[in-house]
Amino acid sequence: MHNIEFEPPKLRRVAIVMLGSMLWGVSLCAAQSTQEAPPPDADGPPTTLADQIAGLTAASFSQTPGQPSWIAERRACEGCPPRSVGRALFQTTIVNVFYGLANLVRGQVTARVTPKTWWANMEQGWVWDLDDFTVNQIGHPYQGNNYFNTGRANGLSFYESAAVAAFGSSTWEYFGETNHASLNDFINTTLGGIALGEMFHRAAWLVRDTHATGSGRTWREIGATALDPITGVNRFIRGDASRVTEKPADMVPSDLDASGAAGVLWRGTQDSAFTADPQAYLEVDAVYGDPEKGRSRTPYDAFAVRLRFGGGSSLSEARVRGRLLGQPLKNGKVQFSVLQSYDYQKNDAYATGSQSFDGAFGFAKNMSSTTRFLVLGWGGLTVLGAIDSLPLGLTEVPQEEATGEGGQGVSEGPRFYDYGPGSDFGVTAIFSRNNRPFTTLFYEGRHIYSLDGVRANHFLQRGRIDLLLPLKGAFGAGVTGEYFDRRTFYQDAAHSRTNYHYPQIRFYATWRLS
Amino acid sequence: MEVVVNLAMRTWVRALCLLALAPAMAFAQAAPQAQSSQPAGNASNVWFVAGGAFATLRGDCQTCEDDYPYRHASAVLADVGYRTNPRMDVGVELFWMPIDTAQGNIRTTHVDAVAQFRPWASHGFFLKGGAGMAFVRNWVDTLSTDSFNSKALSVIIGGGWVFRPAARLGLQLFATQHALALGDLQSAQGEIPDVIGNRWSVGAGFVIR
Repeated sequence: MHNIEFEPPKLRRVAIVMLGSMLWGVSLCAAQSTQEAPPPDADGPPTTLADQIAGLTAASFSQTPGQPSWIAERRACEGCPPRSVGRALFQTTIVNVFYGLANLVRGQVTARVTPKTWWANMEQGWVWDLDDFTVNQIGHPYQGNNYFNTGRANGLSFYESAAVAAFGSSTWEYFGETNHASLNDFINTTLGGIALGEMFHRAAWLVRDTHATGSGRTWREIGATALDPITGVNRFIRGDASRVTEKPADMVPSDLDASGAAGVLWRGTQDSAFTADPQAYLEVDAVYGDPEKGRSRTPYDAFAVRLRFGGGSSLSEARVRGRLLGQPLKNGKVQFSVLQSYDYQKNDAYATGSQSFDGAFGFAKNMSSTTRFLVLGWGGLTVLGAIDSLPLGLTEVPQEEATGEGGQGVSEGPRFYDYGPGSDFGVTAIFSRNNRPFTTLFYEGRHIYSLDGVRANHFLQRGRIDLLLPLKGAFGAGVTGEYFDRRTFYQDAAHSRTNYHYPQIRFYATWRLS
Repeated sequence: MEVVVNLAMRTWVRALCLLALAPAMAFAQAAPQAQSSQPAGNASNVWFVAGGAFATLRGDCQTCEDDYPYRHASAVLADVGYRTNPRMDVGVELFWMPIDTAQGNIRTTHVDAVAQFRPWASHGFFLKGGAGMAFVRNWVDTLSTDSFNSKALSVIIGGGWVFRPAARLGLQLFATQHALALGDLQSAQGEIPDVIGNRWSVGAGFVIR
């Protein structure tokens, strides 16, 4: 092998100057007024109130006497944040600095960045990293949500903010840590950050009451800041947190439905149907907007969220599925949607997570004046999926020895889960009475082609049946049966296969929150 | 060899310096006004790019101790896509690069879904990102006359500058980085596990709208 001298001192100095100029460019962006017009709408006639407002604003941007002041402030609407691309990029850099300092305080050796480590990372390029499952599948998407919301908090559209998330993620990977830029982190931070970011951004707008004043208003703004810290802090700094305005029209959902469930579950393995010890859990499900109908070009004007706490892990399931595009077909009888999904499941039996995009067809039918049936089928691509796995010959994950050299939160491997792209498909059928589901059937299959880790094809299947008995008012009782099946097809000479299955049963009390 | 590498590095560093200064250049220009989603003149919302690049590729095995070399070659690319609004283009990119190795030849074709974002609608500066698949044909002359074919996860990030961004015919300069998560790669010495290739490219292309 050639051993190439690749760091002449002069080039290294140039690289440092280059990085400095990058940071200078970004800071310049923030320091100057961008004088940008608000984003105009996409092609075609305006389809949402937000589009119409954006179009109106664009058409009349050169302010004339008598026009409201918010137009001159580069706001797309009275309650919208002022638009500034530069400020968004600068705040993304601040977020990176904040995370870097937090890691330094935690004693992480990977936070001791210097221009030399930046250059080393640029020379190396992307690698797979060895971090824990939770760090990579929850921690990085959450960090990405902060980048995304620097865009949203500064008046950028969804897709523009998606680009900001990618910018924040890539700059973090190259310049925020001493370890080499991680490809899986980049994908999880960007795509997971977009999904979590828009979900948190819209959830925070549900909490705010922009007509209110006084301490009630302040507490609501603080609550919203807990959900979306970047937008919240920007609103406090700008004084928007106390201004009385209308809410941005596209932050008001056409419909909102949420329910909670608390109960116990038993999970089994192929050796025993169910474990003796029950596990308590709390689950929250929410549907924002109406995903079943309507032409939509506003991303995440409809999305579904599921969070489950307990049940085998402190956070055992997180799922966000947002609509990027909706189109009615056959005079509205069939609904076509393009969806973005973020999935995370971790319990004491298995762990899996993914970032995916799907096309979905939905069909609803009223069976009587009170009973309704909805079926939704989908299929698409998994950009990156993760699944815990064992190399052939091992039956148990070895305990990783804590060396303490890397500092808190730094994993030095080995890593016992695989990464790879793949595909997914599924179907769900919901029977509801008086707009309240009483039976839900769900099936999902996912294929992951492992590119890093154990060389194998993983095929995961999950089936679930929910039966709900409405009791008094918003309360009800339910039982859920779930079956998770995973087959691993190893790419060894013997074409070895393994099959694990985990049945699960849950009993719970449920209540409707809205 | 070192001379070639240093020349390549200088080209690289200069291109990246230009890219790094792009935000500042964008701010130094006149403030834009509100844009229509329709490009100026006869330009349509469909865009094509055809161009070439000088690329440096390094495949690395994470679990090996070998120091793998950087290899240089030319590449061609083509994009076809749609302008969704004055700041955003989406489309598909085809990037093809043949490269000679000590053992034979590797030809890589990336097919990526890409999004191109212009933070300032009337200026040429753009950021680009995307993901897709790469198809790798790997000839190892000592083992077989046939190629070892494999598929890989492809991720692309980059940026650049378009001259005449709203006109029917424009020119773009770009710098991109492709990641090529391959899994295993066949070599004359055996199969190399956990290979990720990184490809850095600088190039130019004609843009037709």
